[in-house]
Amino acid sequence: MAAPLKRPASSWICAPSKVLTHSVRLPCSYRCFSVLNRPQPSYEGHIPLTRTERLGLALGSGLISFLDPRRGDLIAAFGEATAQPYFINHLRNRMLLNPTGRRILRDRPRLTSTSLNIPRLRLLPKNTVGHVYTEWLDREGVSPDTRAQVRYIDDEECAYVMQRYRECHDFYHALVGLPVFREGEVALKAFEFANTGLPMTGLAVFSALTLKKGEWRRFWDIYGPWAARNGAQCDDVINVYWEEELETDVDELRSRLGIEKPPDLRELRRAAREARKKEKAAREAAAGAAV
Amino acid sequence: MPPRIPCRAHRAACPTPTAAVRCRTRLQQTRFASTSASAPEIYDVVCVGGGPAGLSLLAGLKASPTTCGLKVALIEGQDIQKNRLPKDASVVGFSNRCSSLTPASVRNLQEIGAWRHANASRIQPYQEMQVWDGVSDARISFDWDTARSLGPRKPTQPTTIAYMIENVNTVSALLGRLEELGGVDMFASTKVDAIELGTDTEQLDLSSWPVLSLSNGKSLAARLLVGADGANSPVRTFAGIASRGFDYSRHGVVATLDLSTAGWGGPDHKIAYQRFLPSGPIAMLPMPGNFATLVWSTTPERAATLKSLAPNDFAAMVNAGFRLSPADLEYLHTLPSGQAEEVAWREKHTPTNERGLPVRVTDVQAGSVASFPLRMRHADTYTGERVALVGDAAHTIHPLAGQGLNQGQGDAAALVRTISHAVQTGQDIGSTLALESYNEARYAENNAMLGVCDKLHRLYSVESGPIVGLRSLGLRAVDAMGPLKGFFMNRAAGGV
Repeated sequence: MAAPLKRPASSWICAPSKVLTHSVRLPCSYRCFSVLNRPQPSYEGHIPLTRTERLGLALGSGLISFLDPRRGDLIAAFGEATAQPYFINHLRNRMLLNPTGRRILRDRPRLTSTSLNIPRLRLLPKNTVGHVYTEWLDREGVSPDTRAQVRYIDDEECAYVMQRYRECHDFYHALVGLPVFREGEVALKAFEFANTGLPMTGLAVFSALTLKKGEWRRFWDIYGPWAARNGAQCDDVINVYWEEELETDVDELRSRLGIEKPPDLRELRRAAREARKKEKAAREAAAGAAV
Repeated sequence: MPPRIPCRAHRAACPTPTAAVRCRTRLQQTRFASTSASAPEIYDVVCVGGGPAGLSLLAGLKASPTTCGLKVALIEGQDIQKNRLPKDASVVGFSNRCSSLTPASVRNLQEIGAWRHANASRIQPYQEMQVWDGVSDARISFDWDTARSLGPRKPTQPTTIAYMIENVNTVSALLGRLEELGGVDMFASTKVDAIELGTDTEQLDLSSWPVLSLSNGKSLAARLLVGADGANSPVRTFAGIASRGFDYSRHGVVATLDLSTAGWGGPDHKIAYQRFLPSGPIAMLPMPGNFATLVWSTTPERAATLKSLAPNDFAAMVNAGFRLSPADLEYLHTLPSGQAEEVAWREKHTPTNERGLPVRVTDVQAGSVASFPLRMRHADTYTGERVALVGDAAHTIHPLAGQGLNQGQGDAAALVRTISHAVQTGQDIGSTLALESYNEARYAENNAMLGVCDKLHRLYSVESGPIVGLRSLGLRAVDAMGPLKGFFMNRAAGGV
């Protein structure tokens, strides 16, 4: 009876190791993952989560970011919590199957305002990717440095893929010319879901339910079908080495990827607004005339 | 129906069957005489094909006191002596054609006295087998320790799962035994020009007997013609037996590998590894010392790429085959060269448990990389009037369970038993009635094994989706259930 008691605690916790033969036996330091026993982070800034924690994070961040879509940090956390275990690996595999995607994974470039040299991009000829991108940054008033660090993806390479997706997000905006407010964001997220398969982008499309009636109609008639068609048919946008495409003509890049440019959302909104104003003025005029 | 030529029980002392034929035909003097240029030489058993199955059959017949009196001939198209292992073969260069002999096959070879003629230093028994899913990494380990039914392992229980042996070593062992036994008329480097039914002459009626015309001008009549002549068996064609099946559109790439060490278990506990990739399984089987043999089932295009690679890139691809993701492997096969560098980079980003993987391949033996198409074939029946099929002539199997050669050995042993029984009971050994028990003993068993291997191939060809989850769950469940695993191991070992 005494013999089994002498066995190290790890052998009790990790019962499966008993059935493994000596050739594949796990090291004695192996402990099951719990809140009390967190494994070492596999990269800088990594926070390993248990399944329960991950589920909690997904539910909490999902709910709050649905109610308040301006919480970029929570959308990022939601994206990370829902991308594992399958979807982010799938996206990485799509990169691994593409020569450019592999080069990105090997070089691991990071997109920041310094690495991009924004003032230089402003000087690039009109209609180049770099120029369109800076034009878009200026028009929307955003900076490439607002991207959060990936923390909850366990595999270090998959974490980079998530980081890359996040940093390239602004280039997707520039590529298709969709603005950052809710309506444009929903359309782009639908495009990204069809293209990358990340669940966060798909779930974000549900915030289309919170759109106003006119916006919803535009999404349903124009942007939704555009996103589904282009996202599914065009090449993987994650495999674009943006740093090397800055001087490419944006139309050429679009045709190479197989993306059609959607109608300008800001133009459509202005037209709709003016139509509404005109209608209102006409109504008021009619009311005034009636009085 | 032509009168059947009786065959008496052949004991060592009994008159030879040819004498029996003559005494019977003398009674048929009244029959219409026809002229024949040269009467064929009459044999009891003519075996076409000198591969492991055919040689095992002949050695079995000659080793048994009941059947050693039969007059037998072997016809082989190639030079048998040239394909033998040299006596002083050093334990370095291994042939790339190796097989895993199950304990049942080895026991049969021991019973017929051939095993002691094998070059033992070139045989590697292995005690453990690691099999895992390339997509989900679900794993099963086969060894008799974890597969015990209940209670501790008895010392008498075997620890060996199977024996890795070069096919040339098996053939040499059987030829050595046949030389020792003697009494087999060997027609080596001789082709069979034609097989047709004999004629009804004044002396004897051979109209139901297959008569073989050989390339050396001789002509043999066979009481029982055994087809051990491979997948495109001329004997099977002569008998009009259809062989059904399909091609897997996969090739098996074989090579002899140099490893960095003898393996994780050292020289006394060798481990075989098999990883199921969506393109087909990759297996590394231990050979003596720091050597191993590779069998990689893959698409014909990928097989062509692998064969065109430089040795260091090929070695890197084999290491990658056991370690990297299917997506990585797919890309690596599109590169014309430079795999070694690419694999080195990918291994840094692919977490693996090295203890569960084969030790690294350092080199591949020059000229040992080859490939062959994978097929599934099964003859409708193994027997016909005066015809029996053994080995690949009767069935061709996917190599994922290493059962092909063992099935041939099982066929040979069963046919020896059938012939022996027929001789003992005074039946004509070529009659369909006497051969019936051979077909009965082997057909269903081989069919089940063919089916299992085919289904496993199909199951593991699936790349994603719920099937992957279900098969992984099933594999882990079998791994956890010792007695069930023991049952499967017993079946794969040939029912020891």
